[in-house]
Amino acid sequence: MACTSLPYAIDVRHLAKTYGETTAVADVSLQVARGEIFGFLGPNGAGKTTSVKMLVGLVRPSGGNGTVLGAPLGDRRARAKLGYLPELFRYQEWLSAREVLRFHCRLASVAKPGAAIARVLDVVGLSQRADDRVGTYSKGMQQRLGLAVALLGEPELVVLDEPTSALDPIGRHDVREVLRSLKAAGTAVFLNSHLLTEVEQVCDRVAIVARGTVVAEGSIAEIVGLQSAVRVQASANGKPLEPVLSRFGALRAEGGTFIVSGIDRESVPDLVQALTEAGARIFAIEPLSGTLEERFLQIAGGAQE
Amino acid sequence: MIDIAMLTVRELIRRRFVIAAIAVTLLLAALTAWGFSHMVEAHNRTGRSLSRIEILAVSAIMLILIAYMFSFVLAVVGVFIAAPSVANDIESGVLLPVLTRPISRAALLSGKILALAAVVCAYAAFAGLLEFAVVRAITGYLPPHPAQSVAYLCLLAVCMLVLTAALSTRLSAIASSIVAIVFFGLAWIAGIAGSLGAFYGNDAIRNAGIISQLLLPTDAMWREAVYRLEPAATLALAGSGHGWPGPFFVLSPPPLATLMWTIAWIIVVYAMAVRSFALRDL
Repeated sequence: MACTSLPYAIDVRHLAKTYGETTAVADVSLQVARGEIFGFLGPNGAGKTTSVKMLVGLVRPSGGNGTVLGAPLGDRRARAKLGYLPELFRYQEWLSAREVLRFHCRLASVAKPGAAIARVLDVVGLSQRADDRVGTYSKGMQQRLGLAVALLGEPELVVLDEPTSALDPIGRHDVREVLRSLKAAGTAVFLNSHLLTEVEQVCDRVAIVARGTVVAEGSIAEIVGLQSAVRVQASANGKPLEPVLSRFGALRAEGGTFIVSGIDRESVPDLVQALTEAGARIFAIEPLSGTLEERFLQIAGGAQE
Repeated sequence: MIDIAMLTVRELIRRRFVIAAIAVTLLLAALTAWGFSHMVEAHNRTGRSLSRIEILAVSAIMLILIAYMFSFVLAVVGVFIAAPSVANDIESGVLLPVLTRPISRAALLSGKILALAAVVCAYAAFAGLLEFAVVRAITGYLPPHPAQSVAYLCLLAVCMLVLTAALSTRLSAIASSIVAIVFFGLAWIAGIAGSLGAFYGNDAIRNAGIISQLLLPTDAMWREAVYRLEPAATLALAGSGHGWPGPFFVLSPPPLATLMWTIAWIIVVYAMAVRSFALRDL
């Protein structure tokens, strides 16, 4: 059995994958704790899906090693407690959703399959269409079925590759609720998504990958930086304040105020003091939170250049 | 593996392969019954009815020709149900969530091959024995070893099925189908050439035929099957001429080792398929 006492659901070091001369993944090291929702971000072609497939045992790494649920990558013991929704989700269209789930219950040796199937169908909102052929489903419904398959058998780790790509806003909201309930139950979730606002709402930590390498990793707050910028509203009787403010970061004027970017939290009192010493009257100092999207564009864009 | 095999059989049923195969077989049996009935009632040039001996001789030859057509049908069926079952499931992504379950790739492929082979053999047995039964009911003729003949045709189909499954672990369904059928055709032509070489004492051509039978033993299985359909009188007739008896008659069966080689060949190609699938990135 996979060792459930290990702190990490995923612990991989220097994973790499090459196809001939092409490097799909250069160096990916990750630790995902149990009960954590971990976001995996990166631009197209960054190696995200290949990395995910290495984690779930569909692709053999060219280099590196690690464990999933305490077992080596691809080990059948880990797969017994793993749920996976692939980016390319297709299920046997000649079966009904209930039959697909029953088949997966047998493969995963799920105890009390009837109850387990009813539960996941209810969670993803497919109970009413459970006995219809999958071939009659919309793309969004097929993705809901994929999520239901991933949730079968009370997995300890759920790996979701773009789980809301075919869903409407209601479906996306439902998925976020599912992710939160998984976290509450102690299940680790590895979420590969392009939807940064979604990641920002549910993930505890994220990693950004570019050109097959993890270029940033940390909590959302660490990645975004809570006070990476401040808005300053001040005047000094016509005396220019730019020389003072520009000492603390990149400066730009915006609607009669100044935006100082790249300033850290500890430097804000120094900025106030410098303005005061320059004879400025300070009307407002407003910390500005960046968005994950801004930070992502900054980090991933920089790494791509 | 059993779960995969059951799912594969269910797919063939749901996709109407089974019902289509039964319908076509019944149609073929009906046409056979119609044709043989007319043959029994036919008059020769002098206006008299065919004698009992003539009816048996013509029935034996016609059944061999039907078996020849049927061997080709079985080979194609083996190819066309194996190729999509593996390659399409890989390409479409259906296998991705399946293979992240605690099941080995060897078990998955084995389940598929086992189920497909069982279905093809069941179809061969049903269609072949039905055809023999229809001919016997109308003409009273039954080949010397009909069950053995069907068994060899089953082996022929399993050879094609396993070969196609191995190819489809790396190639698309259409590509693996084409390659398998081309190999089948080459083995067929090489087998005919080999029999010609043996008859006229040309060792080079005979050896080419033997090598082709070793590389793909489908032609050898056809020869085994047809030999067991030939009554002594037909064998004597085919062998009494001064020339080569043609591709439809076999004067002596392949050596006993051929059967053992074919079974070993199936096992080796199956192992190669499993190995190829296990090493493939999905």
